[in-house]
Amino acid sequence: MAERTRPAPGPTTYVLRVLVITYLVLLVIWPVSLVVTNTFANGDEALRSILEDPDLVDALRLTAVAAVVATAINTVFGVTVSLLLVRTVFPGKRILSALLDLPLSVSPIVVGLALVLVYGGRNGWFGPTLEGAGLQVIFSTPGIIMATAFVSLPLVIREVVPVLQELGDEQEQAARSLGASGRQTFWRITLPSIKWAVVYGVVLTMARSLGEFGAVKVVSGNVLGETRTATLAVEEKYLNFDQEGAYAIAFLLASVSVLAIVVVSLLRSREAHR
Amino acid sequence: MSIDITGVSKRYGDFVALEGIDLSLPRGQLTALLGPSGGGKTTLLRIIAGLETPDTGSVVIEGKDATRLPVQKRNVGFVFQHYAAFKHLSVARNVAFGLEIRTHGGLRPPWTPQKRAGRERIQAKVEELLALVHLSQFADRLPSQLSGGQRQRMALARALAIEPTVLLLDEPFGALDAKVRKELRDWLRRLHDEVHVTTVFVTHDQEEALEVADEIVVVNQGRIEQVGTPDELYDDPANDFVMGFLGETTTLGGVVLRPHDIEVDRGPGRAGAQEAVVVRVLRVGFEVRVSAETVAGEQVTVSMTRTHAKALQVEEGATLWLSPAVGAATVPSMPVRLRDGVGA
Repeated sequence: MAERTRPAPGPTTYVLRVLVITYLVLLVIWPVSLVVTNTFANGDEALRSILEDPDLVDALRLTAVAAVVATAINTVFGVTVSLLLVRTVFPGKRILSALLDLPLSVSPIVVGLALVLVYGGRNGWFGPTLEGAGLQVIFSTPGIIMATAFVSLPLVIREVVPVLQELGDEQEQAARSLGASGRQTFWRITLPSIKWAVVYGVVLTMARSLGEFGAVKVVSGNVLGETRTATLAVEEKYLNFDQEGAYAIAFLLASVSVLAIVVVSLLRSREAHR
Repeated sequence: MSIDITGVSKRYGDFVALEGIDLSLPRGQLTALLGPSGGGKTTLLRIIAGLETPDTGSVVIEGKDATRLPVQKRNVGFVFQHYAAFKHLSVARNVAFGLEIRTHGGLRPPWTPQKRAGRERIQAKVEELLALVHLSQFADRLPSQLSGGQRQRMALARALAIEPTVLLLDEPFGALDAKVRKELRDWLRRLHDEVHVTTVFVTHDQEEALEVADEIVVVNQGRIEQVGTPDELYDDPANDFVMGFLGETTTLGGVVLRPHDIEVDRGPGRAGAQEAVVVRVLRVGFEVRVSAETVAGEQVTVSMTRTHAKALQVEEGATLWLSPAVGAATVPSMPVRLRDGVGA
């Protein structure tokens, strides 16, 4: 609430502040801090046992691989689609733009089921053909990467599009008139102008990819040491009453996300100083 | 001829931006495309540059057909109204951009003698250009640290760096305040006298066109109304649009003429003089503007000096005898414009 002309905050302001803080504490701060305290209830034993378990190290590695590959795909795809949406005119552009928001609104579990319908090895539309060519998608790493990429698809686009729109295309035209090819214009002019938006998009995509659970749960098959990701391992540990292990993995995942947020805020403040 | 445009037309949906444009511009000339907003002058400039493609017709630059040539192959310098500065590059790097693109060192690593020679050549050229536009001390600044006028001079240096066959400027001073605009206008004229590159600039400011250009092309509603030197246009306008666009006009006895080209008498001495009654007198500085109504019911505006008005005792309700001055530029007034027969 804006403090109109009065510089001193009134009682309403204090009430609102308390409300906001209480809400955040109950919903976010307390639960997350309990994850941390539970993880370290017996010192670093829980963490050490996780990192010594080869199956769990595999799970963490698989999550990292899926997240990195999905982020790389979505970055290239996102920047290309953003340029297409902002710089060109074609029929169906608005429909495409609306479709790109679909992954954010559809439940991840629906995404997983949809992927199985298309790429499932036995009954999928496309799956048997691919399997015949020696590529298993569902219950394998490609499927996990696809599911992860699907759910985090719009994040780069939604960061880059407004920046491109605000930028306009005069600088690009100027570069062209000075003899730059389309490629030179992109690398020398467009990309440096949108680089912060791309960085934010990448960080958000990465954070979202690391934490994906629903879609991955459907397509992975949860094969120990092969297609079990870190989030699936958390669920399994939790259901097997190994709460300490669940909290430890959860802590690892959460700390990467927190790190991502810290990086973003540092970048933003650095940019503000420019 | 440096630029030859033949039969160029351009439509955007139903809107006709340009229709049947024929225009030849000689080498080394400074030409103004003058006309009201939305008249098609910017579209014409962008077609010359290759930033737009014409629906029909051809563009020949220095004897070479450029109609289908993309902008990066035309070797034109283009200056935008809002500067289009590369915001992430320093002033010197902005100016060097076109040269860096053109300097082929191949894939050699940057420390080889060929690459170094290329860098030194670019640096020398950039320094020369920055001196030309008086920005030497700002070489390491970012565009955001420059004023509007400085940014536009940087954009001009950047366009000149590639030694363009033609230099095209789209309302180059349109975003600047009046004083800077006037300075840059004089400066552009002097720069052109030094550099002598064929230059075309778009403007809607008739004063700017009259002051700077060797030749003015008046563009209106997608057509060329008249081509001529500033004197020709001012003294011998092809029609009432050109006349009206280059300065104030009024009508007297069925002809359009300038308000200061009307002789005023208190009696019916002159042949063809018309009797009129003063409706309003407005004093603006040294000038007096008189609105009068003739016996035929025509509204006439006359401008005269203060002294003259005083000597004739011009005041509201006075009767005057108005006649066109000898040698005044006049065109017949046409309340309904006929499109045919109007043009270059």
